[in-house]
This record gives sequence, structure tokens and C-alpha cells, in this order.
Amino acid sequence: MHSILAVDDSASMRQMVAFTLKNAGFNVVEAVDGQDAWEKATQRDFDLVLTDQNMPRMDGISLTKKLRENPKFKSTPILILTTESSDAMKQAGRAAGATGWLVKPFDPAKLIEVIGKVIR
Amino acid sequence: MQGTEPTDEPLDAGVVGSPAEEARFTLLAAAEIQDHLMSVTNDLERLQRLLDDAGEALSVNFFGASAEVQTLAQRINSGEPLSPGAFAEALQFIAGAVTALQFQDMSTQLIAHTSQRLRACADKLAREAFGSDDEDGEALVIEAPNRPNPVTQDEVDAGSVELF
Repeated sequence: MHSILAVDDSASMRQMVAFTLKNAGFNVVEAVDGQDAWEKATQRDFDLVLTDQNMPRMDGISLTKKLRENPKFKSTPILILTTESSDAMKQAGRAAGATGWLVKPFDPAKLIEVIGKVIR
Repeated sequence: MQGTEPTDEPLDAGVVGSPAEEARFTLLAAAEIQDHLMSVTNDLERLQRLLDDAGEALSVNFFGASAEVQTLAQRINSGEPLSPGAFAEALQFIAGAVTALQFQDMSTQLIAHTSQRLRACADKLAREAFGSDDEDGEALVIEAPNRPNPVTQDEVDAGSVELF
């Protein structure tokens, strides 16, 4: 069973993401912000990271950069799920090493389809 | 203090502390506050549209799922065997509700950004009205957000997906 680290400072968003992913057969670990996600990521393996962008302590792009600096996460798919839709932000995410950029609100079927395309 | 008789000396707008310079700063501050308040108005209108759309979507999906579940219950009660595909319609409505429920996160972000902007306006007005004299040291002043509200959505249709 694939494990996904789901990162969002919104409890309701984590609930929606976890509901969708668990119903699709994924194991889900939740983190409340980038710092929490980083700490959890160093403690166990994940097949994919799905992170919000605007979060306290550490945002999604900063988390992505930090993960990519660690050889353990060099190839881990990292998807950013955010309300941000500007080209500048997308390019910043891409430059940080994100695998994809999803704009909220997400459609459950589409989210599972995208994850299926990038997860190994 | 000098006498209050009018003088023939022209007001010098370039002199710091001069009445003309102070008036100019007050006008600039007023213009800035007006810009922020117009942004707040636009964001609140967008919030209203978002809430209206989310309410409609949730209502449609709730009653849709409810009707499907009742139909399935009737079919089961009549002894009809159900295939896994029989639940597809109900699950579709539930997926629609999952998308619509994300309005809470978007609304929270919209409100937080708008609140910061309003607080900055209040702080600026206080500074303009009462100056920055503070015997206890500089009071904490909230800075206005230096970019537009990151939430641009005003409906709960699913957003775009881009793989790099």
C-alpha cells in the first residue's frame, strides 16, 4: 500500500484529502504545516507528498526545496495543492522541484488520476 | 508660539513638517487606505459569491446522494441484487460534495487576508490621527498585505492540474 504525506494547515482540507486518498486505497499521514511535514518525512518513507502552499512556519515551496536537498526525497513525487494560480507561483514551485501544481478546489477523481500518473 | 496672523510667506511643500507637506502625506495615506478598502469590498463580494456557489453545490450533491441512497435501499428491499456499479451515481454526488466542502478553506483564507488589510487601514488611520508618539515604545502596527488576495476563486468548480 502506497503512503502519502498530506500537508495542509486547514483541518477541513486535510479531512477532504484524507477521505479521498483513503477511499482510493492509500495510507495517509497528515501534517499541519511544512515544518511538521519535514519532521515526519525524516522519520519514515513516503511514496508521495501532497502539500498546500500557504502555511505557517514553512510553506509548501520551502518544504519542497528542503525535501529535494535530501537524497532520500530526490525522486519522490511532490504535488502542491493550493488556491494560488498565478504563473509566477507555479514557476516558483517548478523551480523548487515540485512534480505538479494543483489548484483548489480539487476534484477527487482527478486527484487520484494525477497521483496514479506520478506515483511509483 | 508665534502669532497667528497670516503671513505673506508661501507654504513650502518641500519642507518637512510644513503644513503643505503634512497635507500631502495625509492625502497619500487617504488614497492608500481607499485602495485597500476597495480591495476589501471586492474580496467580500467574491466571498459572497463563493459561499452562494458552495451552498448551491452542497445542496445539489446532498439531495442527489440522498435520492440515490433511497433508490438503492428500495431496490435492496425488493430483493434486487446490486452490482458494484449501482453505487456509482451516489459516489459521484459524494465526490461533488467533497469538492464543494473545500469552500471552507478558501473562505478562511479570503477572510484572513481581508482582515489583515482592514487592520492595517485601522492602524494607519490611528497613526495619521494621533501620530506615532507612544511613551511605551512603538506600538505593533499591522502591515497591509503587499499582494492581492491569493484566493481568486468565486465558485467551487475544480481547479486546474498541471504536471511539470
